[in-house]
Formats: sequence, C-alpha cells, structure tokens
Amino acid sequence: MAERAWSKIKNISEVKPIERKFEWWGPSPEEARKNLVSKPKGLRDKGTSLKEAVKRYVRDGINLGIGGFVNTRIPVAAIHEIIRQGAKDLTLSFQSESLTAEWLAGAMILDENHVSIKRAEIAWWAYEVIGLAPMLRYLAKNGMIELDDYTNYGMAARFKAGAMGLPFIPTRDHGGTDMETTNRGTMIKCPFTGRNVYLVPACYPDVGIIHVQGADKYGNCRIFGPLCTCPEIASAAVNTIVTAEKILSEESIRQYPNLTEIPFPMTDAVVHQPFGGYPGAVYGFYWFDMKHIRMFREICEEFRKTGNKDKLEEYYNRYIFECETPDEFINKIPPEDRQEAIKSDGGQPVIL
Amino acid sequence: MVDYNPYEMIAYTGSMVLEDNTIVFVGTGLPIIAAMHAQRTHAPKLLMIYEAGSLAPILELGLPLSVGDTRAFTKACFVKGLCGVFELTQRGVADYAFIGGAQVDKYGNVNSTMLGQDYSKQETRFPGSGGAGAMAANCEKTIIIVPLERRRFVEKVDFITSVGYGDGSPDYREKAGVMGAGPYRVITHQALFGFDETTRRMNLLEIAPGLKPDDIQNKVGFELIVPKEVETMKEPTAEDLRLLREIDLEGYFLGRKINR
Repeated sequence: MAERAWSKIKNISEVKPIERKFEWWGPSPEEARKNLVSKPKGLRDKGTSLKEAVKRYVRDGINLGIGGFVNTRIPVAAIHEIIRQGAKDLTLSFQSESLTAEWLAGAMILDENHVSIKRAEIAWWAYEVIGLAPMLRYLAKNGMIELDDYTNYGMAARFKAGAMGLPFIPTRDHGGTDMETTNRGTMIKCPFTGRNVYLVPACYPDVGIIHVQGADKYGNCRIFGPLCTCPEIASAAVNTIVTAEKILSEESIRQYPNLTEIPFPMTDAVVHQPFGGYPGAVYGFYWFDMKHIRMFREICEEFRKTGNKDKLEEYYNRYIFECETPDEFINKIPPEDRQEAIKSDGGQPVIL
Repeated sequence: MVDYNPYEMIAYTGSMVLEDNTIVFVGTGLPIIAAMHAQRTHAPKLLMIYEAGSLAPILELGLPLSVGDTRAFTKACFVKGLCGVFELTQRGVADYAFIGGAQVDKYGNVNSTMLGQDYSKQETRFPGSGGAGAMAANCEKTIIIVPLERRRFVEKVDFITSVGYGDGSPDYREKAGVMGAGPYRVITHQALFGFDETTRRMNLLEIAPGLKPDDIQNKVGFELIVPKEVETMKEPTAEDLRLLREIDLEGYFLGRKINR
C-alpha cells in the first residue's frame, strides 16, 4: 500500500498552499477507454472540412488538448475555427503554448458568451523571446481562470499516462516546489524503494487538436522535427482532429510504417490544411512569421495596459471572424511575409 | 579594455562555466548563446539538449529563438518530443540545466511562475515552469541566470518553480524526490555565485573588475557568504564579443537592457 508523503516544503516561499480535492478535469481513464472501445476500428476515410470537424467534436465544457510547442507546429486553423464557432467553459490542457492560448483568451475577453476558458492545466504560457502573455496576465490577475501548474515534462508525462491508459504516472520533478503545494499531483512513498516520488494524474482531453506535416485519409500521421507532445495528446484524447500540410497516400504510409507517429485508431477527423500552423513554424514548410506574432501580442499588451478593446476587436474581425475558412486568413498575410517564412525554414528534410 | 554590455558579460560567463565533453540542457536566450560560444571556443565537444525534443543538433541555420524552433533541430543525432528528452534527463543524461528566472533565494530556489501570495488571483503571472522545473530537478547541476537586482535576489521567492536546496536541509532534495545534485552557479553581469558545500547557501565566487563584495551584497536581499579572497570575473576579449554578436546576429538577446 502506497503511503501519502510530503517533501519538506513549508514556509519557504510566499504563496499560500491550496487544498484541491482531486477531480478529473476531463474524462476519467475508464470513460476514455469506454469511448475508444465503442468506436468502429476499420480503416475508414476520415477526411472532412475543419468546419464539420469542429462542429462535430467541440462542445461547451470540454477539455481541449492543444498540440505543438509554444509557436511550433501549433493547430492555428483549428483554434481559429473553434473561435468562429464559439465554445464556452473550456478546460485547456497543454505543456507550452503561446498564440493558440492567447487567441482563445482574447476571444473570451471580447465576448465571454461566445468563447470562455474556465481553467487551464499547463506548464507554460507566454511568447519566449518576445515577452510575457498579456491575456494570461489579465485573466490570472483578475481571477478569471483557474490554473493548475506542472512542469513541461509533467504535462507531457500526464498526456503520456493518458496515452498508456493509466490513471497517473510517477515523475522525478514537481516535488519540493510550489507546484507540489498547489497542483493536483501528489507525493507518495514509493512502495518499492521507500523513497518519495511525485505522482501526476493522467490527462485525457475530450478533444485533441494537432497539426502535422502529413497524414493519410485514415488518420495515420507523420511528424518531422520536434514531436512536441502530439503523439501523446492524440492518443490520450477521446477525439482527435488532425490538420495536415499534405495528404499522403495509403501506399506511402504502408511503405514506411516506422514513420507513423500517430496511428489511425487515435484520430477521428483529417483535414487537409496547407499553412495550418501559420504564423507559427512547421519544420520542413515554414518558419515563424515574427511580424504577425509581434503585431498580435502588441495589440493584446495595449489592451492589458489600457483596457481599450478597439484594436483587439479589429484584429479578431479581420483575421478570424471575417474569414470563412483558414485559407482566407492565410490570404490576408502579405505574400512576401509567407515567402520569407518558407525561405527561413531552409528546406528541412521531410519524407512525405 | 573592450566595451561590452551586461548581456554579453552574462553569456560569456555562462560559456566559461560550461565544460567540454558534457551535455547541457538549454533554455531560450542567453543559455543557448553561452553554449554556442563555448562550442566555438573552449568546448568543441559540448552538446545541447532542447526540450521540444532534440539532442546534439548542429545549429547551422543560426540562433534558435525558441527551444522548439526548427533551428534547434537541424542535423541533430536524435529527435523525438518532450517525453523523449526529459526521460533521458530523468535517467541522467544531462550534466547541466541552464535556466533563467524572475527571482532566486539563497538556496537557489527559482521562481518563474507568479508574484503574490494568492495562487487563485496572481498579482503578476509569469510564463510558468516550462522545462525549467524538470531541468532543475533532474539535470545533474543547475546553472541559473537572474538579473542582479534586490527585488530578484530575495530572502523568500513568491513561488518555487525550480527546486534548489529548498530550506537548506541536507535531505531536502531527496525528500523532494528529485535526482539531480542541485544548484551549481548563478550568473549575473557583475558577480558569479556558487553554493557552500556544507550550508548549501549562495556564496560569492567572482566579481566584475572594479567592484567590491559590498557592492554586490547591496544588490542582494539576503546575506551572502563572502570568502576572504574573491576572484575577479574574466572579461570577454574583442574576439569573444565578435563571436557572441555573430551568434545573436539579429540582436534578440544581447541587445536588451538590465535595470540597475
């Protein structure tokens, strides 16, 4: 029998510990399994439009698992479509995100009755080189979002536990920090070594959104460059929506099965979406559009400082609400900026 | 004497701290610049890990702006995702963690999560742990960059994100369930700090030319251990500066100013 344990963290920092009664912030392992078991397993064409996929799987109150890392291979097209259609009381789960989370938070600030984030289980939310995340700062300061902090490995391991069908996974981090005093993980005395080890609960999103370089119509996915935590999120999620730069043939998938990072049973919708991760970077296709990223952050920062929503509203209308499809968003990006982003990738080698 | 700014001094000092034939797990910005400088000078066999999933890349596209940047993945020996590299780290592959933070205390505990006492209403929200918490836990030695200001070198950090020596007790890290040995160096532009072996408290190792230990103590909100003899920090040469500026061609990280 494993025994509850504690590190020696006490009165070392200023923050007050919080007591959380454990509850799943999405499906339990049993619910997630039941759902997968009930799906028909044969190879079937999952090709659809983003509009259809979001309409079918994204509902109010779900746990949304966001793929990619910061602004690398992020599911931009899917996030924009979710904002267009609207979704309330979302729980966000990811390791490190930037634009995707800020876009959702900005939509919430513009109209809480259309998009809202109830809580987020995360490791990191900001812009790296460009600075902190204005929308997160605003929501956190005003107590408008419930947060649950882990390390990047902690979140990756939580999705991995989900992908493995487990209720939790032991990690060698979080202990001795204020994540131990505030998050939903718990320290135990290891039943084998007798030493302390930190357990983090698995994370099973209701819906995973993932952007990849290549997928076939059955949902077998190939990823190049950083895998981030995409394979784990796709497998942990009850339903996974995949957008892909390129649609691959079944023959190609069967020729190089070792290259499949996400197997077909773990995906539910496949959308062909070139530039689906833009203005983030997609290895082998395009690099960051720093100009657009900075522009959006500056608009958010101005709102945070002044409370004036005019420019924010203008941005959302122009780049999201007035776009019927993700292609319309891409067409609003100056062609020379897109060309620069393609050139800056340097033609990284991918097998597609 | 050559003219350098605080960021260049930090990057140079970071480079000097790293050793050849080791693996360093790098955070965005100055840690990457320091490691690239080390590779080009005294540590050609130094290798990097990037948390989005790459081991030992050759950075031929230039300085990565993100630890998930395509530029951090070119010609790597191994590319997977976060689980891949953090599990290698948990196993013991990474000699150094090289992280930044907003606050540090005398035991090398680092805050990069929030300011305030109320977790449910955070006065200032920082990005959060990201990789840092796991790196400080499980890389063997942790190197920390924090700007040398009183509000950042504090008696108590608001939130411990990356575990150091905790409250200083000898078994703190063991009870925390972490594997790495703990904080090793804290780098600033005017002082290099280490940690006393018996008390695990921060001590002063080196100071910038022209400064006295008191100048440093005045910028630190807790009592430093100051040995009788404090070494002088080595300054970058003109060639070091040329290299550093060539690494950060676009001036993303070396151009910014520190509040004095």
